[in-house]
Amino acid sequence: MTSSTPLLSLRGIGKAYGPVVAVRDVDLDIFKGEVVALCGDNGAGKSSLIKVISGAEEATSGTISLRGKPVTFASPHDALANGVATIYQDLALAPRLSIAQNVFMGSELTKPVLLPFLRILDKKKMIAESQRYLSQLSAAVTDMTRPVERLSGGQRQAVAISRALRWNAEIIIMDEPTAALGVKESALVLDLIRKLKADGRTVILISHNMRDVVALADRVVIMGAGRKYVDRPLGNLTADDIAHMIMAGNAKAA
Amino acid sequence: MSLGRIDPRELIGRYGTALAGLALILFFLIFAPNFASTMNIINVLKDTSFLAILALGFALAFTVSELDLSVAEMASLAAVVCGWLVHAQYPPAVAVSAAIGVGIVLGTLNGYGVTVLRIPSLIMTLGTAAIAKGFAFMITQGVAFVGRWPVGFTGLARGYSFGIPNLVLWMAGATLFAYGLVKWTRTGAHMVATGEADEAARLAGIATARMKRIGLLLSGVFAGLMAMLLAANLSSAAPNMAGDYLLYAIAAVLLGMTMFEPGKPNIPGTVFAALVLKVLGNGLVLMGAPYYIQDIVLGAIIIGSVAFSASAMKKAAFKV
Repeated sequence: MTSSTPLLSLRGIGKAYGPVVAVRDVDLDIFKGEVVALCGDNGAGKSSLIKVISGAEEATSGTISLRGKPVTFASPHDALANGVATIYQDLALAPRLSIAQNVFMGSELTKPVLLPFLRILDKKKMIAESQRYLSQLSAAVTDMTRPVERLSGGQRQAVAISRALRWNAEIIIMDEPTAALGVKESALVLDLIRKLKADGRTVILISHNMRDVVALADRVVIMGAGRKYVDRPLGNLTADDIAHMIMAGNAKAA
Repeated sequence: MSLGRIDPRELIGRYGTALAGLALILFFLIFAPNFASTMNIINVLKDTSFLAILALGFALAFTVSELDLSVAEMASLAAVVCGWLVHAQYPPAVAVSAAIGVGIVLGTLNGYGVTVLRIPSLIMTLGTAAIAKGFAFMITQGVAFVGRWPVGFTGLARGYSFGIPNLVLWMAGATLFAYGLVKWTRTGAHMVATGEADEAARLAGIATARMKRIGLLLSGVFAGLMAMLLAANLSSAAPNMAGDYLLYAIAAVLLGMTMFEPGKPNIPGTVFAALVLKVLGNGLVLMGAPYYIQDIVLGAIIIGSVAFSASAMKKAAFKV
């Protein structure tokens, strides 16, 4: 794979919910190791596009290629198995389950017992590994058996990101990761994203917070009324510039 | 929840009702006439095993967050089919398989109704219950199959192995199976995740619909097992024989949710609660309480358990 081959490539993606068209004919290339900010006003089609990439919903039209090969994500499991993990706004954690249970949800570790084909959960290892992922993210939590509902917002993000790491996801999609957080916790999450990037992972960041976008993104993609109308390197764009571009796009769409 | 600092409130939340249950058992051991006799204790344990096995199935369905209100009627139909075959002199293995088979068929029906037709389990399983009841009466024409049944069949429930009543062994086996499934296997972890947060589990790549079908299927299988044992123990099969067990099974699961893992359906809690309910019924009778007191107590336990679990959940949610 040359560096010019996109890691993820969308062509003509459309998504309709009955008569309502949420995404229209979107082409998008994502390259390895970059942080792409996906911006746009409410109803611009960002979340619908993300749901298609994450396998949560199937596209009405268009194709997705991963490392140059066409793929179909019929379920979140398909996307995860192909190294595309999504961290949703509401985090998609089970509040009453422990940190370790949440990190390994859907990909639990097992060990053989008595007979080679008989495997049971390896709870010890899952706790140790969860600890490792969380400390990688510099999250200050020690007790992996703690239920997630007793964690702060930033710590929950760290748990959600750990799950993406656990799947060894190459592409991590984050939907409004700082929306529900305070200043200090937002800073923690931004650091987490920088760590992911430094680790060579590719991040698609959906955010309403233009300061986050300017702080992190390599490239800005702006959507409005279901279409993509800006796709450019961040360069020296300021938070205000992006906000203006979003509003200008709205005006055009209207 | 680390062992270093144990919150006394958490201890009470976890073990409070279990200790109360233990106190109740002690109370009857001391004060209820004849309660402590070996005969009576064995009877209570045998009685508990029917309820515990049925309630375990309900608990497994509840683990995937589905209500199975058809457990008792599934059991009645399974018992009738089983009794019919024994009565018609088929080998016990055939009758036993048929009882479990009824549970598999109806449990699968419930599962597909809930996940494919997207009918809420409350409605789906009520429908299944009515259908099962209808078939049970159709097969028996309203009367019971009774007779001198082969020991090869009745011994499954009435016999002893290693000095322990077979019924108690069946209960132990069912408990171990359910506990092992939920706590030790990936499927169990997926079932728990599905029940705790359906959408989160789906987004984490778990086949949540399949987990719901497994929960409801197992509920049917446990109902079939319980039915077979009930028929074997009584040497009879009547179309309404398990009907009364529904409320008791619900009570056992809900009371069980106040113990060990507050607010969550759990296997040890379900079995211990089944024992407490049966001890309570038996003890009250021995102390001369009128029969209707049991229903009143049962209702109070159902309501009280849910109130207790709800308050435990609220406390947990606010504790940061």
